[in-house]
Parts: sequence; structure tokens; C-alpha cells
Amino acid sequence: MSMDAALITYVEECRELLEQMEGDLLALERGLDTSDDSTTETEDDNEIAWCELINRIFRSAHTVKGSAGVFGLDHIVEFTHEVETLLDQLREEKITLTSSLIATLLECKDHCLDLIECLADGVEEESNPQRAERLVNELQTFSPPAEKDNQSFAVSESNNNESPAIERLGNNGSGHWHISLRFHAEALREGMDPMSFLRYLQKLGQIVSVVTVSNEMPDNFEKFDPEACYLGFEIGFVSHESKQTIEDVFEFIRDDSQVRIIPPFAELESYLSLISELDQEPRRLGEILVECGSLTPEELEQALAIQSSKPQHALGEILINRGNTAPQVVEAAIAKQAQSTAGRSQNEDRAASKDGGTLRVEADRVDELINLIGELVISGASTAIHSQDSNNDALTESVSTLNELIEEVRDASMRLRMVEIGATFNRFQRVVRDVANELGKQVTLSITGADTELDKTVVEKIGDPLMHLVRNALDHGIESPAEREAKGKPLNGQLKLNAYHDSGSIVIEIIDDGAGLDAERIRAKAIEKGLIDSTYELNKEDIYKLIFAPGFSTADAVTNLSGRGVGMDVVRNNIVELGGRIDIDSEQGKGTKLTLHLPLTLAIIDGFLVGVEESPFVIPLDSIRECVELQQDDAVEKNGRQYMNLRNEVLPFVRLRELFGMKTERPIRENVVVVHYGNQKAGIVVDRLHGELQTVIKPLGQLFSQLQGIGGSSIMGNGEVALILDIPTLMQLVKDKQPHHVIH
Amino acid sequence: MTKRILIVDDSASIRQVVSTTLQGAGYETIEACDGMDGLKKLDGSKINLIISDVNMPKMDGISFVKELKANPAYKFTPVIMLTTESQEDKKAQGKAAGAKAWVVKPFQPQQMLTAVEKLVM
Repeated sequence: MSMDAALITYVEECRELLEQMEGDLLALERGLDTSDDSTTETEDDNEIAWCELINRIFRSAHTVKGSAGVFGLDHIVEFTHEVETLLDQLREEKITLTSSLIATLLECKDHCLDLIECLADGVEEESNPQRAERLVNELQTFSPPAEKDNQSFAVSESNNNESPAIERLGNNGSGHWHISLRFHAEALREGMDPMSFLRYLQKLGQIVSVVTVSNEMPDNFEKFDPEACYLGFEIGFVSHESKQTIEDVFEFIRDDSQVRIIPPFAELESYLSLISELDQEPRRLGEILVECGSLTPEELEQALAIQSSKPQHALGEILINRGNTAPQVVEAAIAKQAQSTAGRSQNEDRAASKDGGTLRVEADRVDELINLIGELVISGASTAIHSQDSNNDALTESVSTLNELIEEVRDASMRLRMVEIGATFNRFQRVVRDVANELGKQVTLSITGADTELDKTVVEKIGDPLMHLVRNALDHGIESPAEREAKGKPLNGQLKLNAYHDSGSIVIEIIDDGAGLDAERIRAKAIEKGLIDSTYELNKEDIYKLIFAPGFSTADAVTNLSGRGVGMDVVRNNIVELGGRIDIDSEQGKGTKLTLHLPLTLAIIDGFLVGVEESPFVIPLDSIRECVELQQDDAVEKNGRQYMNLRNEVLPFVRLRELFGMKTERPIRENVVVVHYGNQKAGIVVDRLHGELQTVIKPLGQLFSQLQGIGGSSIMGNGEVALILDIPTLMQLVKDKQPHHVIH
Repeated sequence: MTKRILIVDDSASIRQVVSTTLQGAGYETIEACDGMDGLKKLDGSKINLIISDVNMPKMDGISFVKELKANPAYKFTPVIMLTTESQEDKKAQGKAAGAKAWVVKPFQPQQMLTAVEKLVM
């Protein structure tokens, strides 16, 4: 891989890491907000989740820095080093988390992202030194005072009857190893000096705390054996050594004494990732745990010995009870085991794709593949025709099998483009936080259906409109805390993003519990702006739709947020361009629900096949209202425009044969396809109706890019090319121009 | 205070390697060529650790450890047994006799030092 290519990977990796970092920071912030009223029962879970989040944020910063070093990007290394240092202190609980710290860290994340984006543009130096300096200074204000002498450690005594080791099992969020020692009574007589182990341990790292446990001591003094050892230690230990190395310190006492070593969280994480990186070779549970380093072979042996005497206990259970390894690690190992077994019995590639990591492929390559598969479909179709002509049954049969396979390949490759909407949704956490702060509102964003998949192109194009709708909901929908209080609503506003699949399309909902739409006010505004006539009787839905009209805004005060150059009309147009639609449901005082219906993919559409002369055309199915036969008596022509009577409604229509300059005679019977775009309807007159089909869109070549009324082409099963009509521009043509001026 | 270590082995070369390694790490060493000789060297003076081979003429390591543990002056002195991989049964016997630590032969001088440090650091 060339350095440039590696750099591109680095940029992409950083974007992902920073995005994740932002999400984690926001999650921490939410945790901070709710920690005041959290109940005690979930406190432990919270603590674990917290440590995990901090660890993850640390790792993100660490990776950004580490890779920057490889590329010699000193400015990134310098900056992220400061961030990393602070996060490390946070991880080791030397400093406490505050909302101002999170705010600073968020800004640091932004700065990092800017540096990365500059890097993507080829700028390999600090783009905003002032900000970098300010942030570094800010970070330093959070740092704890100078650290104490590293070598000293406090020895305290504990008469606690509960063994602290048990309490802390699996909850070692402190970033250091926890070693729990219980010497057996004979230790001294065997020449074992308890202090010797502690001293030796210091060779491998730093002992941060020692608690001496003496609860083995007999209560009755007569039973006290002066030569017996009643000691135990609870040791907090910071070290980069492996568990095996640490365990080896106790090599000579572990057979008889109790030695439990609990890894720090970071270590736990590395076990988990090692487990997930193991190949699909089937292994036993113990083997997986030993291989990832979570369990030492000695521990496994002891546990297996116990299991053979108590066969009713599962190995994982024994290991967790003995404190050899954390429950999470055992779970991960069991999952891995299941996966390996599945991998053996099922198709290997399917198992690999399920959980076996991801493969980073450039989008262009996938597009190229899909394009080639499109070609394959065409040549497959023509092969099918030739094979049928040949009257060779064997050939026909194998060609038809081949074509079935091609279709499967096509569907599979389409699935390659599908991505989860979660990443797009999560980006709004930050937006909601920032915008709500700016407006002095309290808003909680909840996300559901994050795993709903849709085409990557749609995801990319939906970002902006969604952003606008979310901002709008915050700006105009959700009220200020004072207003909410006056209305008796909870101070905290709720914004909800939801996604789900519904019969071949994806539905995205943006729901707020704000003020709702005021139909009367919208109507008044529309009249004032001259959008509608005051005599119009409109139902609620139609009034709501007025907010999508160009130049419409009901906000009395123009805030920083509105007036960003995008109006609701643009939002709606964006969505319509994607082949989607937007619905509004609102109850005044209760809230608003915007529902976006989008196609799952832009590469395939549900079409309706029609014919003029010998030429097939495809009309996107979702723009079709109905099909009727053209009654020649009902059609009139005036000023070059044609209209027909559709159940006493005036319907402008256009004949495709006239539009596209087809010179043959009209057939006796013609059909009208009634299409709609927005609130308008029009008729498209064709010769024949063939029916629905699902079709792959192939974009038109550059030569035809100026062609109006045609959106693309599609290859039919018989190899014929069908043009796909572009309904929005066609409607415009029907409305504005005289047909014979259109096509030259 | 310098720690004193008694090395009991019939192989002069092994005694020498172990002795040199330990002296290099700041320990004082005493050498004995078998169990009998070892017991003779235990004159009541302070010994911090004993390293003993298993197979030796006159008195083997197991008997030596048993005798040692019977001596009140040395019953708390840790013992490292030198064993070979094939001597699992001897290792068990040694442990039963009271030698809980061991180093498997052939060993690197550093391994020996590590084992010693774990016990008398």
C-alpha cells in the first residue's frame, strides 16, 4: 500500500473514531445529568458503562495520536497527546468528570476533526494554532496537581469480614490490576515470605494500594498458631505485563494459597478484541480464554480439576466464581465458540459476514460491480433469447439457471450498498445538544431503529434534509423550559428519531413533543404571503403542507438557526428527488410528527411499464395515481395544451408519442397514466399498459444529460432498453410549455 | 543486610553458574556438594534460602529437605528444588517434604535469579 493510500485510510479511520468519540462523550454527559437521581440498584452498571465509555474515548484519542505519529503528523500528535493525557488521568480517576470538561473535550474532538479534514485537503500543519493553544490551556486547568512519589505505597489494614476481592469482581473499573492474595496457613513454615512477593511485584510495575486482610485469624486466641500464616493482601497494581507474567510471581504459592488476578478494564477490552480476532478454528472454551490471555493455563487446569469433581457446573461458571476471569470475557468466548461451530456447519462466507468483522471497500468499486452486474443481466437476457431460438432444451435450461443465479448475484450486490442509519442518527446527538444549549432549551434525543438499513446513496443525501428538520423541531417545535412549565409539560423536551422498514421503503420519523403546528397561523401567513387565496377551504393536512411552500416561514423572530439558506421547500424537494415523500401529523400543544418515506435504494425502482409504438417506457410506480382509458370525447386542446375530463376534474395531459416526436398514427385506443408530483396531477398518454416491474436504473450517458423528461434507462429482460420517465420535469413540461417546442 | 544462599548440588559447574549469578545480584553464597555436606554447612548461622538438587550421592535432595525442616533453626527457610521435566514424582516428593519452589533444569541463570527473587526479595 502506498503511503498516500494509507493516509486516506488514516483520515477515514479518524473520522470514524472521532465520531464515535463524540457519541461517547455525549453519552457520558447524559450519564452525568442523570447521575443525580439515579437509583442505587443501577449504580454498579452505570459505573461499568462509564469506565467503558472513558476507556473507549481514551482509545479513540490514542489511536488518532498513534497513527499520526506513523505519518509524522507532529501537530496532530502534539494536540492529541494533551487530550490523551487528560483522558488517562480521567481513566485513573485522578480527576473527576464534569460537564465543563466534557464540553472542552467535545471542542477538542472538533479541533481534531478539523485537523483531519485539513489533512484530507492536503494541509499537513496546524490550521488553527490559536484554538489549539486555548484548548491545551483549558485541558491543563483540569489536570490534577503534581503527582505524589510513585514509589511509596500506603499499607492499610482492614478488618472487613467481607472479602474485598469478591466485591470488586468484574467491577474493576479503576484501570489497574487487582490482585487478591490469601496465603495458606503453612506458607511461613514452607519458607514463603509474604512481603517478598510484594517486593518482587514492584519489579513488574507499581503497587498503588495494599490492604492487609487478616480475617483468617482465629477468634479464640488458644487456637492461634504463631507459626501459621493468616495473612491476605488486596493489591492494586499498575503494570503493562501480561496476566501470565503477573501470575508467575506467585508461582510457588499458587498451588496452596489463593491467588486471584483481576485485569484492569483496558486489559479486559484487549481480551475481548483478541477473542473476536481469533480465526474460525473450532476451540474449546478454555482454549479460547487461555489464547486471549485472560486465563493462564494453570488456572484452567485447576478449574478443570474442579469441574471433573462437580460435573454439574459449567466451566465458564467455575471460572467466574473463582474470579479467574470476568463474565464479559467468558460470554465473548462462548459467543466465539458458537460462531466457530456455526461457521463449520453453515456457509463459511455467511458466518464470516455475520460477525467476522467488516471489509472496507471504496464505494466506487461497489458501484462498478453493480454496474457490471447490470451488464451481466443484459447479456444474460439476450443469451436466454438466443438459447430459446436454438431449440436446444439442455442449453435453455442451463441458461435459465444461469440467469437465476445472476439475479441472485444482483440482489446480493445491492445489499452491499446497504448501511445502517444509526451513524446518521447518532450525529444528531451533538446537533441537538449544541442547538438546545444555544436556544436555552432542554431537549433529550432518543433514537430507535438505528439498525435499519438503507442504501448508502440515500443515507448520504438524507443527511441535510434531516438536519434541517431536526433543527426546525428544536427551533420552532420544542418550547423553552418556561413555556413548557406554564403548559404543565415536563421541562425536558423530547425529540425522537425513529426508522423502520415498511413494504419496500424506509420510513424515518422525527417526533417532538413541542408546541405542534398552529393551522390557523399557517393559513393566515399563507394568505398574507399570497400563497393561497383567503377564500380557499383547506383541510388540516393541506394547511400543514403549506409550510413546504417556497418562502414560507412562521417564525416571528429570525433566530441564528433559521435562515440558514435552506427552507422547508428545499427540504421537501430534496426528499422528493430521492423518490420519497414527507407527511406531517401534528396536534397543537402536543407535538409534531414528520414522517419521511424513502426508497430503500436509488439503484432499483418499482416501475410501471408502458409502451408507445414499439418503445417501452418505465414510469416510477410511486408517482402513479391511476390508469384510465382516454375517452377521445373528453379531451380538448387549447393554446397547444391538452386537457381531459377526469371525473369532472380538469387534467392536463401530454401524449408521449407527440412529446418524443414519434411520427406514426395514434392507435384507436389510448391509455392515460395519471401521475402526481407534489399536489399536482397530470396525465401521460401511452399506447399500451404492460404492468409493474422492478428495475435497475442505469444513468444516462453524458450525451443525454440535458435531455428533459427522461431520468435514466433500464434494461428489460429481453435485452431491450426502456427509458425511465422523469415525472417532475415532465410535469413541468406539461404545465409550462407547448409540447412541440420541447423536443427538437 | 546481604542475604545468604546455600547451594547444594553435586555438579560443580551448576554450583558455579548459580553461585556466580547470585553473587552478581548481590547475594552471598555457600556451596555444598551433597545433602550430607549441606547439613554440615548448616551451622546455626542465618541462611535466607537454600537451592538443592534432587539427585545427589550420599544424601539426596528429598532427605536433605526433610532433615532441614526438622531443624528448628531452618524450618522457615525457603527451599528451591532443582528438578528435570521427567521428575514429576520427585517434585511431588520434594513438595511433600517442604520444598515448595522449584526450577526445572536445564535453566537459564536469569530464571534462577527470578525464582530466588520471588522468595527472598
